[in-house]
Amino acid sequence: MGGRDGRAAEHDVAAVTGVTGEHDDVMAATGVTGEGGPVDVVQIRTGTYHDSVSLMRVSQVLSGLPGVKAAVVAMATELNRGIAAELGFALPGSGPADLLVALRADDEDAAGRAAAELDRLLAGLAVRTAGRAAADHPPRTVRAALRETAGVTGAGGVSRADGTYRETAGASAAGGVSGADGTREEATGTGEALTGDAAGTGSAALALVSVPGPHAFAEALDAVEAGLPVMIFSDNMPVEQEVLLKRRAEQTGSLVMGPDCGTAVVGGAGLGFANVLRPGPVGIVAASGTGAQQVACLLDLAGVGVSHILGVGGRDLSAEVGGLSTLRALDALDADPATRLIALVSKPPAPEVAEAVREAVDKLATPVVTVLLGSGEDLTSAAESVLRALGTEPPAWPSWPAIPTGETSPGETRDTGEAAPGGFPDAGEAIPGGIPDSGEAVPGGIPDAGEAASGGILDAGSRPGLPSGPASLRGIYSGGTLCAEARLVAGSGEFTDYGDDAYTRGRAHPMIDPALRLEALAAVPRGDVALLDVVLGHGADPDPAARLAPAIAAAVARGVPVVVALVGSAGDPQGLPAQAEALRAAGADVFASNALAARHAARLAGFRSVR
Amino acid sequence: MTLPMLSGELHVITAGTEVLGEALDAQAVPRVTVDWRPPLPGTEDDLARVLADPRRAAANDRAVGRLTSARPQLVAVRPAHEVLDLPPGTFLHAGPPITWERASGPMRGALIGATLLEGLAADEEEAAARLAAGAVRLEPCHHHRTVGPMAGVVSRSMWMFEVRDAEYGGTAYCSLNEGLGKVLRYGAYGPEVIGRLRWMGEVLGPVLRAALELTGPLDLRALIAQALQMGDELHNRNRAATSLLVRELAPAVVEAAPGRAAEVLRFAGGNDHFFLNPGMAACKVSADAARDVPGSTLVVAMARNGTDFGVQVSGLGDRWFTGPAGVPDGLYLGAYGPADANPDIGDSTITETAGLGGFAMAAAPAIVRFVGGDVSEAVAATRSMYEITLAEHPAYQIPGLGFRGTPVGVDVTLVARTGLLPTVNTGIAGRVAGTGQVGAGLVSPPASAFTAALAALAEAVPVA
Amino acid sequence: MTVGTRPRTQRVPARAPARTHATGAASTALRRTLESSRRPARVLAAFPAGVYLEVRADLEPHVIAVVTGEATRLPNAMVVGDPIPRVSVGADASVGDGVIEIGSLSLRAHRWWDPAPPLGPADPVRLAQALPVMTELCDRSPKRPGLEGNGAAGLLTEGCAEASLLRGIMAAEQLVGLGPGLTPSGDDMLAGLLVALRHLGTATGTGRAVWLADWLAAAVTFDARGRTTPISATLLHCAARGEASGEVLAVLRGLAGRQSLEPALHRLLQLGHTSGADLAWGLRIGLSSVLDLRDGGGEPGGGGRGRA
Repeated sequence: MGGRDGRAAEHDVAAVTGVTGEHDDVMAATGVTGEGGPVDVVQIRTGTYHDSVSLMRVSQVLSGLPGVKAAVVAMATELNRGIAAELGFALPGSGPADLLVALRADDEDAAGRAAAELDRLLAGLAVRTAGRAAADHPPRTVRAALRETAGVTGAGGVSRADGTYRETAGASAAGGVSGADGTREEATGTGEALTGDAAGTGSAALALVSVPGPHAFAEALDAVEAGLPVMIFSDNMPVEQEVLLKRRAEQTGSLVMGPDCGTAVVGGAGLGFANVLRPGPVGIVAASGTGAQQVACLLDLAGVGVSHILGVGGRDLSAEVGGLSTLRALDALDADPATRLIALVSKPPAPEVAEAVREAVDKLATPVVTVLLGSGEDLTSAAESVLRALGTEPPAWPSWPAIPTGETSPGETRDTGEAAPGGFPDAGEAIPGGIPDSGEAVPGGIPDAGEAASGGILDAGSRPGLPSGPASLRGIYSGGTLCAEARLVAGSGEFTDYGDDAYTRGRAHPMIDPALRLEALAAVPRGDVALLDVVLGHGADPDPAARLAPAIAAAVARGVPVVVALVGSAGDPQGLPAQAEALRAAGADVFASNALAARHAARLAGFRSVR
Repeated sequence: MTLPMLSGELHVITAGTEVLGEALDAQAVPRVTVDWRPPLPGTEDDLARVLADPRRAAANDRAVGRLTSARPQLVAVRPAHEVLDLPPGTFLHAGPPITWERASGPMRGALIGATLLEGLAADEEEAAARLAAGAVRLEPCHHHRTVGPMAGVVSRSMWMFEVRDAEYGGTAYCSLNEGLGKVLRYGAYGPEVIGRLRWMGEVLGPVLRAALELTGPLDLRALIAQALQMGDELHNRNRAATSLLVRELAPAVVEAAPGRAAEVLRFAGGNDHFFLNPGMAACKVSADAARDVPGSTLVVAMARNGTDFGVQVSGLGDRWFTGPAGVPDGLYLGAYGPADANPDIGDSTITETAGLGGFAMAAAPAIVRFVGGDVSEAVAATRSMYEITLAEHPAYQIPGLGFRGTPVGVDVTLVARTGLLPTVNTGIAGRVAGTGQVGAGLVSPPASAFTAALAALAEAVPVA
Repeated sequence: MTVGTRPRTQRVPARAPARTHATGAASTALRRTLESSRRPARVLAAFPAGVYLEVRADLEPHVIAVVTGEATRLPNAMVVGDPIPRVSVGADASVGDGVIEIGSLSLRAHRWWDPAPPLGPADPVRLAQALPVMTELCDRSPKRPGLEGNGAAGLLTEGCAEASLLRGIMAAEQLVGLGPGLTPSGDDMLAGLLVALRHLGTATGTGRAVWLADWLAAAVTFDARGRTTPISATLLHCAARGEASGEVLAVLRGLAGRQSLEPALHRLLQLGHTSGADLAWGLRIGLSSVLDLRDGGGEPGGGGRGRA
């Protein structure tokens, strides 16, 4: 199969089974004649095109092989068929787009050698054609990249019928100078994956722009003007440029995700900071990346998949931008057959925008769960609302209590579920479905952290060696929305979002480089409680626990209780269970839900006003 | 609204942080990586303004559409005084406006030669003195629908190719090519130069005029398209195009002037660059069709006067944006070397403006060594020009690139974004007036011409 | 890099070879097999752009295709970005605990995709208009189905046109495993038919079509493993659940008007020697059947669209 034409894993792979001989995939007809005397091999191969000059060279090489009397390798035009017929070859029917092979050799051996050499030469041609475009000259702008894949993604991103072919003959313009055989070059696949594959599979492109903010506009505009959706990961883009891009996107049928859009998932493909999620019915429109990650991960842990996460950028719902992308994303998800329920996750929008969004939501055929942080909702309750809307009872969210000092083997953890009813399930069971239902009594499905605290083991007061009296809570966050949520849930404390522009200028995002957060953790005074988020998934630190765990252990050792909100899915590359184990082994109480983590941390700090 | 990306197989174009791209690789999401680099220094704000101009995209579509759909036809050969607004005492010259004081050696030489040809001075000294005194008015060819190779000096008695655009109705002119060696356009003005010019005015021009009257208009668009497929790039190699032209004209030349046919055909056929001039006029008439589209960032002229390199932009009327002309990098004839080279000169960059010349280098493997490179560099040069151009020419195609259209229509914003400057093939004139050609090579325009144009475009953006 | 070429007798090498870790995008059809505990497998077939693994397990898909992005994305595929190392047929492999191991290569899924994405509602009028277009495009194509003129293929067409379960099943049983190659033409036809009945039936709310798909699926998957090649049996199991390759899904979207039909069909027809044409034929029979069932057809002799 693919060995000769570069494409592979097609259905007919006769070469492997040996049922019909090894050329089955490329040959419509094969004939071998001759007994004792000269041997004729005639083949018609379909689905292959090479230019006439290349094929003449192939014919020449074959003719020169010992024992080969004649070789015609050419596109099966009338002219070329005539040439082969004059040489006395018996030709089966063929069309001008087929490749004609006619070999005459002294004996079977010579014919076999010639056939093998032919395959080698043709494979070489295919490779040459494929390699030419892609490798040497990477495009310098999104525009050039689009041009390279021209005909594929055109306006609207749908491949057009005429994109399948590139006319190679110069006849029309050049007044008689033309590709002699009037051929067309089929853009199917060997090398230019984008061009080829896109032709018929309805594939579509997206631009992911993460150049420095002041330069992002140009690259994003290239995409938008071509009707291509664009995700702008870059921040620091002036708002007027954002508005312009989004207005232009309305005209070209495109979608602008961002700027400062950290997270998107398109058909399972994670862009930016994104988790490995199972495909499913929930589409998320997110004005907040980490907010969407939290919701999606909780859904995934509950066994419910996500169709897409379309980020819109943190400013989209401001009065200036007017929710332009939110409205488009809602429309797009409404039209998407895979999306049965839409969740809209955002900070509260500007009032006039809120009204527009509400109106738009009302018009959609798909049900929408709107989660506006700060209006009495948190992300965990939002995920639970989504689950209920789909008829799924929310599970108790996984959590992994700290392993007290001295008890190092996670496998031998005592059954905390017994010691603290409503508290933490055994880590070994921290998988949806296998968790003791701790939340049954609590409306909204959130286990009452108060109960856990009163159960004893996690009560701040019961921790040996900690000063009594109210402590302070230090939120050391990498995710902006997670930070805001924790602040709201905890009610008070000092919260810092190290993912904010102010901290990321000139350095990597804290999800990639924890240095600033490690410093902050080391500075938390004894007696205060530290609350951190750890976000897993694509783009994030491949092993965040490796650097956090020692810092956590040090903090715990000097009398700082540490609580971690571990945002991740079971499929994330870092391994959710392994990360949880490493963090709890370092002495942190670990929660899959940020809201639960914040509530727990606030209890530890002795707050009374926890929501 | 439906978004195809939600249901198709996703492909991603990534520009920026490579770690985000690698995360896609780990998910087996196919992608094209943009090799992004920061724009030319200092262009950030102007770029943002110009790109945001709501008129830009449509304006550029219109402008480059006209550039590539123009249908230049060679319609006549006529004396300059008949067709150009060229009163006695006015000369045209290549490139942006220039004065005698700032003019380089070859430009001065050609002006002296024209002064002698027109009988405005008895000898070299007198001519130079008159020119220095401002007795002759100097105007750029481009201001008169005209282009001229090298010094590009045009005076009343010279004969011109007249090219008409059958699509949009424009007309453009270019002088007749004198051949190689000691010629006026390289700044030579000796007696043999003046003598040849007189012969061209007395014999060549009239015979060609008569022949063209017999043949009727010649389709230069088709001729150029064919020549590209025969190994010309139409700036430094015009051998195929010249042959095609002579083939078209020869019977009519014989019919029109049997007595002069042999010398005319020997002259035209013996000069591999004979087609350069009608080719330049074809490019000029095409580029002029794209002028004056408000909001367009398309370059409609690139030209050098031996001192300055200037560009004009569709959306900015007749304004020139200039920077110092560079010295070409190339091969030298005989004992000449870089020290003998004059800075870049001539209107022949109109070929690059229209998607030929250096932009079509991949079509002309025969001359890649002449301009200092190998075939792969020629292909690379052409490929890189796709980065800064708005279109691929529908008729001018390059066989070696799978009959892909040549890159055409330089966009000022793309030059600023990529930092890639137009690749120009050019002849090299001697620095000293009267020397003639000393070599040929490649030259890069000054970035400042483009950044200045960008700044002007930014100023011209209407306030929203 | 060479993978799995050591002699099979040498099961336990003295030193474990260095493992190469790679990641890719897996069909959700593989999720259960991948996440269950590790099972032995062997290389069933190997090509430059793909490797088929047969897993020693009862659950389907029991054949897993590991392919590069240029290959057809079969519904039982794990797609990888990098070239697949050389591996010989019969080499040992394993699948489970989240990992596919082939020789020294360890593969994990960093993305999951749905091989049976919902088509969404489709307008029957549009589908009815699409049928003759598709028929014409298929007829014009030089790519011919492998069983043109075959009696069983004709019987299937008729059976479906009449919504005759009996004749449909009779035809289907004759077609399983019929034809040469790794995926015999009969199987490809049936796969196309099953996928079309299920998706287009659901998309138009034609319950009878889905019902027919269920019964035909049960009939063809019942003993498929014993009657056709392992890869083809697995693909039939996938088709029974509506899972198909990207090329087939694109044609379904094209029929429903969600993308242009012609390039999608062109692309499908290019698959394999006859596979694409066989699948397309199956899709046509399915489409025609769905339309007939909507029209209240199904009585003997009442089928009007036997031309598929």
